[in-house]
Amino acid sequence: MENPIWGDSIFKRKKKADNIYTILKQVPIFSELKNKELSEVEKIVHRRKYKKSEPIINIGDPGLGMYIIVKGSVEITEEDNAGQKKTLAKLPDGAFFGDLALLDESPRSASAIALEDSDIIGFFRPDFLDLLYKKPKLGIKVLLALAKVIGERLRRTNELLVQIQQKKDVSGSG
Amino acid sequence: MFPAVDNYAFQLYSQIMKTFWRVFLILLGIAFLIFVFPYIKDVLILVIIAWLLSVLLNPLVNFLEHKDLRRSWAILIVMVLIIAIVGFSFSLIIPGIIRAVESLTSNLQSGVISEFSVKIEAFFEKNFNNAELARNVTEKFNEIGVKLLGSLGTFFKSVGSFLSSMVIIPFITFFLIKDGRRFNRAFISKVPNKYFELSLNILHKVGNQTSKYIQGQAIDALIVGMLSVLGLFIINLVFHNPIPYFIFIGMLAGIANLIPYIGPVVGAVPALVLAIFSNPPNLGMVLLWIVIVFIIVQAIDNAFISPMVVSKSVNMHPLTVVVVVIIGGNIAGLIGMLFAVPFTGIIKVSSSQVIWGLKNYRLDFSPRPEETFPVKSG
Repeated sequence: MENPIWGDSIFKRKKKADNIYTILKQVPIFSELKNKELSEVEKIVHRRKYKKSEPIINIGDPGLGMYIIVKGSVEITEEDNAGQKKTLAKLPDGAFFGDLALLDESPRSASAIALEDSDIIGFFRPDFLDLLYKKPKLGIKVLLALAKVIGERLRRTNELLVQIQQKKDVSGSG
Repeated sequence: MFPAVDNYAFQLYSQIMKTFWRVFLILLGIAFLIFVFPYIKDVLILVIIAWLLSVLLNPLVNFLEHKDLRRSWAILIVMVLIIAIVGFSFSLIIPGIIRAVESLTSNLQSGVISEFSVKIEAFFEKNFNNAELARNVTEKFNEIGVKLLGSLGTFFKSVGSFLSSMVIIPFITFFLIKDGRRFNRAFISKVPNKYFELSLNILHKVGNQTSKYIQGQAIDALIVGMLSVLGLFIINLVFHNPIPYFIFIGMLAGIANLIPYIGPVVGAVPALVLAIFSNPPNLGMVLLWIVIVFIIVQAIDNAFISPMVVSKSVNMHPLTVVVVVIIGGNIAGLIGMLFAVPFTGIIKVSSSQVIWGLKNYRLDFSPRPEETFPVKSG
């Protein structure tokens, strides 16, 4: 049981806030991992700091891996045919992006820019493939979780597609 | 009075100064490297050998790690195994080689091979009617032989210092395998954000390609060595042991195979020389069969082994090979000659990956947010 006096002390909170396990635990692909497994992941992730307005990934660059926002916020943008930037999303602390690049090297479909000074964790395909070979049990856990995330996203996309199709059908028959 | 022009000039001046200092520091770095190179050359060679070994042993370590063994234990097991194998082979081969080189040197010096010289003289006299030329040729041959074997003897006698390197190399290799990933991460953490993904991707690709190339070369050398040993063993069986130390000679041919075009010839020479000095009754046939064995081994290598294990992207022009072998020899002697071509191959593979990265990544060279200059108002 947590000590009521020291349990929520400023020191512990600081330690906890800085604890990479806590941050990784928030990300769906790592949420099922035990602390020992998270320590293996911790060894292969990269922690970076980005200044406000600094690009994190550029649209069209070869995909290399995913990023998790530890602190700060990130804007996801794409360019239309005229070269105009269009904001797709603004991501807060704990959000992640670029996860599809863990599977292949296809060009990035959008750019990501830090909206404020941000602390970000990068998890990349070569390290992920290395993990899959060296620690297959752990690698498969992460892979399965990644498949779930992508599957869920595909399901939502399908639902949206059906809704749009239905709207189109209704407006067409009306 | 002219704030826009003033601001532009200020920015331009800062950019020029920044570029100047960058170029200056790079040139200073190069000058420093040239200055310290002679002092760090020996250590650098040891580190390069250790790095090559770490690349070769890494797949074995990864395999054991894959079998749920801790990485440190996996490295220890692999290294103890390799040291035991190499040590055992050396203890069998090296004393014999030193004895052989010494006896060959004394043979050359004491003129025991005069019988061979007489044969050459007779050949020249009969075909060219010039005994003087024949004597000159045999004298030169003797001189070169004594010099060559003398240096070879010195090389093997310096096995003591070689063995001390054998302690340092495994030590460096251990840490390169254990902490290689940490070194990469430490390096990549210093790279600015705008080059981060590009550098990481290139680093991984270069690592992969160089590993594949080095492992391919090692497998190629091993197979060529084994085939040469087998061929020489058959000759020894048929002609009643005309080639002493055929296992060592065969493996030497495998190692020499690292140098394209030149290696196969260099690999065959020790077998031919040893056969000549053992002077079997049917010397002509033995020499012919040695040449045939090496030609067959090369044909098998070129047709089947090389295309399978060595990347075609590192094919080199014969002129490039000759030039880099000479440069390698000048920098690091025998070892430099041996590793010059693989090293050039690594540079070729790496540069192709760097070019790929530069072509595929959109590099934004505009100043970073903190580098931008606030525009003066008014």
